[in-house]
Amino acid sequence: MIICENINKEFGEPPQRVLNNISLTINSGEFVAISGRSGSGKSTLLYIISSLDLPSQGRCLIMGEDISKMPSDRIHEFRNLHVGFIFQFHYLLSELTALENILLPPRNLGKEGEYEARAFELLDLMSVTSVAHKTPSQMSGGEQQRVAIARALIMNPKYLFADEPTGNLDSENAQTVMKILKKVNKEEGTTVCLVTHEEDFSSMADREIYLVDGEISHR
Amino acid sequence: MLYLAMKQLFSKKKQTLLILLGISLGTMLFIAISAIQLGFREYMTNALLNNTAHIIIKGSDNIIEKDTIQERFFGESSFVHWFSPPSGKRDESKLENYQGWVQRLSHDVNVFDFSPRLTITTILRKGPIKTNVSLVGSLPIKQLRISEIKDYIVDGSFEDLSSGGNKIVIGIGVSKDLGVRLGQFLDVITGNNDVTPFKIVGISKFGDDRTDRSLAFAHLSDVQKINKTPGRVTEIGVSLLDINKSEELASLWSMYTKDKVQDWKSASKMFMEMIKMQDFVRYFIMFSILIVAAFGIYNVLSIMINQKQKEIAILRSIGYGPKRILELILYQGVFLGLSGGILGLLMGLGISLLVESIDLGFELGTSNHLFVSYDISIYTTGFVAAILASLIASFIPALSASKMTPIDIIRGRS
Repeated sequence: MIICENINKEFGEPPQRVLNNISLTINSGEFVAISGRSGSGKSTLLYIISSLDLPSQGRCLIMGEDISKMPSDRIHEFRNLHVGFIFQFHYLLSELTALENILLPPRNLGKEGEYEARAFELLDLMSVTSVAHKTPSQMSGGEQQRVAIARALIMNPKYLFADEPTGNLDSENAQTVMKILKKVNKEEGTTVCLVTHEEDFSSMADREIYLVDGEISHR
Repeated sequence: MLYLAMKQLFSKKKQTLLILLGISLGTMLFIAISAIQLGFREYMTNALLNNTAHIIIKGSDNIIEKDTIQERFFGESSFVHWFSPPSGKRDESKLENYQGWVQRLSHDVNVFDFSPRLTITTILRKGPIKTNVSLVGSLPIKQLRISEIKDYIVDGSFEDLSSGGNKIVIGIGVSKDLGVRLGQFLDVITGNNDVTPFKIVGISKFGDDRTDRSLAFAHLSDVQKINKTPGRVTEIGVSLLDINKSEELASLWSMYTKDKVQDWKSASKMFMEMIKMQDFVRYFIMFSILIVAAFGIYNVLSIMINQKQKEIAILRSIGYGPKRILELILYQGVFLGLSGGILGLLMGLGISLLVESIDLGFELGTSNHLFVSYDISIYTTGFVAAILASLIASFIPALSASKMTPIDIIRGRS
């Protein structure tokens, strides 16, 4: 479970408030979409609840732990074992093959061998087995993003955070990615938190958190 | 992390190869220059030590001093104006207590061996031709133990002096000047035109023309006899087990005696200054080249980090901590230093062998090749310097990469 209490986030000098007094709860196994217009603070909220960023005020608890009080080693371990990230751009390491990219999180623990079978399962699940030994430059955009999703899922994370994962894809690939996220949520019980500005995709979630000027709004 | 580091490094083969070459060339140049300089230094040191020893103990000069004479003859309080103040030596220099030195040196654990010597100035004559030489009387077996003189005998044998009986080893220059050969006799003229025939049993060649034309060796007792100074010894050459203790022991021994105790370094001050200058030039060259190579490493890694910011952000977001990112970059620097260093060592060794094999077409000392040293310290210094330069050059970009937070990179704030 993720619990955010009175989250404020300010940037710059003089400080500009991007998130204003946000409180929310995301239950385990839920599929939540964070939506809103450009500049509404949806990505900022995602980064805070995913431990990538810290709030200026307020607190955010994940699995009962306050992120801002976690020692740095614990945060790295938490990200490694329990969290998967998908960004708008795939950010695959250009010199590694798809398989090697997927195995990056277990490689951090020296357990890449143990996870190889799962990596192939995920490649199969994403329908990209054919690119297993190809580098990102030899793949299409859709394939690259599906490999990035496989990398996010390799450790069987409790939480999957996706920041506009379909933003760079054509509609067909975007639909495929959304179906995968839905499937992972349903079949593996992974809590999915998706940032999107497309209504079609936010409607696929169990719940939608709509932001307007840094505040939760009900539409 | 090593796997990832190597993958990143070899994704830019051309850049990596260029940096590798930079480090290798720096290391190679240092080794080649050091090998030639140290080779020449070893040759010069050996030549020096043949004429001296690790430590030389000489009789003090016994100079007449104005104040001593004045005090003895006129008393302390008198004012004396000298038209021509007394000067010069009181006597030929000789050791005050030769037997005492023999006792001390025989029991000193630092001493390998020692050789007493009596050096006199004499004239060698063959027929009508004469030449002045310094005739060094020594105990040949001991002299052979404390020096490399054997290596400089080009004809005959230095050991043949040991039986005594008016035998002499002359320099090759003397042999040419007098037109004499091994086995022939020449006259040794001393003091009041006393002429003693000596048989030539060896010819030496030190490579220095002046030395080869002015130096001769004979048995100590023969020299004492023709000089009419039985039992006299002007100096003792001492060979130590550890040459590096020469300064320390010379200063210690000089506290016990009026005799002059001098280590080989202070006896050859100019030579030692030249060595210092050579070392400075050698290290300056290596330092300059390695700085250029280090800048290369710094540039390549900085550019790589800049290009791969997003990838570093991803690594950070999937649990790779700052230490792991530091490792990722440092491994690349260490690999460049290690492989560049090893390649440089091999290239340096190759160049040294090549230089040593070149026939100069003229004689340098006893050889017509450049003297090359293969001292292990040259190779270890070159290798350690390459590794250090690479480590320092990669640490700065590695540190900056490790400080990047994923959110700063994603938001474009780094």
